[in-house]
Amino acid sequence: MTCFHFDIGSRARHAGRFIGRVRGELLRVLAEKKARGGLPQQALAEKLGVKRSLINRQLSGEANLSLRSLADLAWAMGMEISFELKQPMARAGQNQPMTTSTVRHGQIKYINGGGKQVSVFAAPADPEPEQAKKSA
Amino acid sequence: MTTIEELVEANAISRIEVEMHPRDQTLRLLYGTPGFIAWLGELAKDSQPERRLGEATAAEQVDDLFNTFLSGMPLVYMRQFRSIRAEKNAIWELKTPDIRIFGWFLQKDCFVAVFGNWADEVKDHDLYRGYRIAIRRLRRELGVDETLCVQGVTPGDVLSL
Repeated sequence: MTCFHFDIGSRARHAGRFIGRVRGELLRVLAEKKARGGLPQQALAEKLGVKRSLINRQLSGEANLSLRSLADLAWAMGMEISFELKQPMARAGQNQPMTTSTVRHGQIKYINGGGKQVSVFAAPADPEPEQAKKSA
Repeated sequence: MTTIEELVEANAISRIEVEMHPRDQTLRLLYGTPGFIAWLGELAKDSQPERRLGEATAAEQVDDLFNTFLSGMPLVYMRQFRSIRAEKNAIWELKTPDIRIFGWFLQKDCFVAVFGNWADEVKDHDLYRGYRIAIRRLRRELGVDETLCVQGVTPGDVLSL
């Protein structure tokens, strides 16, 4: 079976997923509060003294979320923020992640079921021309 | 009756994967047509002009969306996915702030991506109808019948939430 591995590199992956997780958490809490009959976006906007369209763009990801605006949104929703940096810890039985590029949008790998792999270098870190590499 | 295996064997669709956290398992399936995978490759190359609304690049947004989807995490209805039209064999849209992805659900938790494009282009040129028609035509050409199309149009019909 042919498989396409969408790999943007470790650095970009960490950034994108962190941003996505923060925004997803805001959306989740807002949806929960809305389902319980309270806190529409308009109420949030009025509480913070900003336009509803700004809240909407921040929640949809169309506008940047500064740490202050994140704190403001959490305050307006009546929530506390929990933030922690910790060392990654391997646990028994977990998957072994593949080694991938950490430079910009790294390799895109086409992986065949038989263990064969075709790689396309997406954005090489060096100035060499874009190239496709095949390895059996 | 066409099966998923036959579609894969014929290279009509291919599995799409992203790097997942070591403690996550693949709980949903994602496929793409050759055209979509070519588009995805271009997106990852970052060769597209720099256009983004939020902090994350388009490629980062798509990686996060795919990771959320594949690892079985909840997606927010309307914000991250929705059906184009409430109809039988509906066409669905996966969404990030800057990107729109169109396709259909072969089965619950099993999506085939056919088209990807920038959100502003989709909205400015109202491409929803065109993508819907093109995907329906592609399904006919591939011999995909109702057995490989989720019939319902509620979020719970297509995703385990």
